[in-house]
Amino acid sequence: MAEHGKGPLTGIRVADFSWVWAGPFCTLQLAHMGAEVIRVETTKRICVTRMLPPWAEGQPNPNTSGYFNQYNQGKRAITLDLQTEDGQALAKRLVGISDIVVENFAPGVMERLGLGYEELRKVKPDIIMISMSGYGQTGPLRHYVAYGPAQVPMSGFSTLTGYRHWDQPMHVGLSYGDPNAGHHAAFAVLAALWHRQRTGEGQYIDMSQWESTIVLLGDAILHQQMLGHQPPRLGNRDPHMAPHGFFRCRPADPESLPYGLLPEDRWVGIACASDEEWRALCGVMGRPELADDPRFATLEARKRNEDELERVVEEWTLTQDPFEATRKLQEAGVAAFPPLCNKELAEDPGLNAWGAFVEKEHLVAGVRKHIGIPWKLHGTPCEVWRAAPVLGQDNDYVFRQLLGLSEQEVAALKERGVIA
Amino acid sequence: MAPRALEGLRVIECGQMVAASYMAKLMADLGADVIKVEEPPGDPARKRGPFPDGVPHPEKSGLFLYLNCNKRGVTLDLKRPEGQELLRRLVAQADVLVHNYPPPEMERRRLDYGWLAEANPRLVMTSITPFGLDGPYRDYKAHDITVMAAGGWAWINGWPGHPEEPPLKAYGQQTEYQAGAAAAVATMGALLARQRDGRGQHVEVNAQAVVASFLEMTYTAWPYMHVVSVRWGQRPIQPIDFFRCKDGWIFVLCVEEHQWKAFVELMGNPEWAEWEIFKDRLSRAQNYDVLRPYLEEWVSNWTVDELYRAANERRIPFAPASTMGDLLRSDHLRARGFFVTVDHPVAGRYEYPGAPYRPSLTPWELRSPAPTLGQHNDEVFGGLLGIPRPELEALRASGVI
Repeated sequence: MAEHGKGPLTGIRVADFSWVWAGPFCTLQLAHMGAEVIRVETTKRICVTRMLPPWAEGQPNPNTSGYFNQYNQGKRAITLDLQTEDGQALAKRLVGISDIVVENFAPGVMERLGLGYEELRKVKPDIIMISMSGYGQTGPLRHYVAYGPAQVPMSGFSTLTGYRHWDQPMHVGLSYGDPNAGHHAAFAVLAALWHRQRTGEGQYIDMSQWESTIVLLGDAILHQQMLGHQPPRLGNRDPHMAPHGFFRCRPADPESLPYGLLPEDRWVGIACASDEEWRALCGVMGRPELADDPRFATLEARKRNEDELERVVEEWTLTQDPFEATRKLQEAGVAAFPPLCNKELAEDPGLNAWGAFVEKEHLVAGVRKHIGIPWKLHGTPCEVWRAAPVLGQDNDYVFRQLLGLSEQEVAALKERGVIA
Repeated sequence: MAPRALEGLRVIECGQMVAASYMAKLMADLGADVIKVEEPPGDPARKRGPFPDGVPHPEKSGLFLYLNCNKRGVTLDLKRPEGQELLRRLVAQADVLVHNYPPPEMERRRLDYGWLAEANPRLVMTSITPFGLDGPYRDYKAHDITVMAAGGWAWINGWPGHPEEPPLKAYGQQTEYQAGAAAAVATMGALLARQRDGRGQHVEVNAQAVVASFLEMTYTAWPYMHVVSVRWGQRPIQPIDFFRCKDGWIFVLCVEEHQWKAFVELMGNPEWAEWEIFKDRLSRAQNYDVLRPYLEEWVSNWTVDELYRAANERRIPFAPASTMGDLLRSDHLRARGFFVTVDHPVAGRYEYPGAPYRPSLTPWELRSPAPTLGQHNDEVFGGLLGIPRPELEALRASGVI
């Protein structure tokens, strides 16, 4: 059996009551650094992400969801029914030997299970607990239902993001509030751990996913106050760079495309932050005369004539392969990159050379190429030590080894549907 | 006074725009002593705005003001050896150095971990880069839009049914915010490691990989099913869509069947809702062209707030498409005291977004507005480093400070 991963958090144990995406994304960061994260799940209400595709080979199975398996790498998992008294008692014993508790239920759920902070600090006085609910633990809307995709419109992203000529709010393509809350929660927990290591004091952290998403829009909140209206929807344009956008490229050879892609759906992202970069772009396009063209010579002029500017750039990109265009532009000192689809991401030479992927054997799904740790601690290297767990994979380890139950006790608890 | 979680940690920040500045902000807001080092003519965020009444001014840029509260600010020309020596003296008295210069710019400023760690073996140096410190793209130029593209995010952002539209960037420098937040997590890890072994280290953050690490289920659709994700594809379940109300837009969201049932009830159980073609979330997606007009008409008779409340009373997770004005007026956010008022000596008084989390014992706090350019030069170079006044004047005259 694989040995638990090492890192700065070796010896730190996390009782992870979270589910769906935000909480698990927080504990993923802790697992990346060597913390022993124990996910408390139950077969009676299986985690949403286990029940969503993509499943290995498209066959629905709670153990083979790529969604779950991406965000639960390097964690342990037990099944425990927290609706039972014995389940609650065992959960408390687990907290008693843990350092950190993470949960993202609606406010009040942990209290109803007898697992609120006040109860938990009785069994572990220096416990650090974070609650990551949609609206926070206080305030008039605290009991409203909060779903991942709704954080994007609620926090204001939808009225700010969107195509210029479309009169409607847009999503941002993923439930951005979730991983963002996960990053922020992981930082908050580690700062609290830093404090505990120095003073011995634990504490409770109330986190609102709504608020932690609005903090990404400080400039727009100030825009509203400084100018009396919010920033206009700019599509892919930027107030301080031009050209700045995605430009259509030469259609791909349909034979070379995986099923589902349209040949004309090929683009390259280009951003010029200075007149020098614009000049360099003109050189690569083979149109050096455009650099001094009064319509485009300065940022101000390019912004004024941006429709025409974009037409001129696209005239060139339409003759180019996106990857080839990127190489030429970067060689000339212009920021460019094609928008990668998931297949191109998996095959990206940069991510592969840098070591962004992990391929560990999963008990049921086998070896799959997952995104691993996006940073490197050069003095204390971290690694994903194990693929995501199947349901209850670590029941024996946790209940027998960590909590010291006998084989008979475990069997009886399984029989009675507590370990289930 | 409440204790501060990161009290006693000193962070030297060489940040431009968002990523490093945001990481340092996260630490400053929990009590770290952050000294922000700006190169002449200052952090480019000072030029970004928004500006009061739209008039550019380096001390009034909203993005800069927001990202740099609770910090002290100094100026230093890092391209000159004298500036590099002074930075080295600063990091000798610090715990963390964070920057977001890409590798070629790092070298130009001698941001070399080995050289800096000679002056302080306990130093944690965090390098936030677009593509990592090595690899084929290390020298690539990058902005938010190209990192969003390289990380696989832009490809999936757009609207179903519109292959004629390009991939779409999300508002603001989001790849920078997430790279900064990921860097803050990794940096805390390095500090906790130092607590054990007494040694500092170099932390490397790859923004492209950070973005790729949070693509929901779209990345793994490839290794698990060999399915390519597209922004213009049909949504697998419905309704998940924006609708126009009398006074704004609402996000109609029914993920679970019981939410749809509750929504039908709220609509007064119309006859069409019984039709076979709308029987489950998959059927509703397949027949969405038929469904949408019914919903559109029904929703149009409501105000956003009425419908938001009516839905949530039935446990249906609708959400308003908030404007910035809506957020500033929200009773809920007001009741929680989310916005904080900051009075800046040049820019004036505004409300800023406040705490992303509320630690009970060591609170998030706002202590001071963003520094003006070089505001703390005397305090830091004269006080902290003990450089005598004549020497300080000479450095100033020669443009190093």
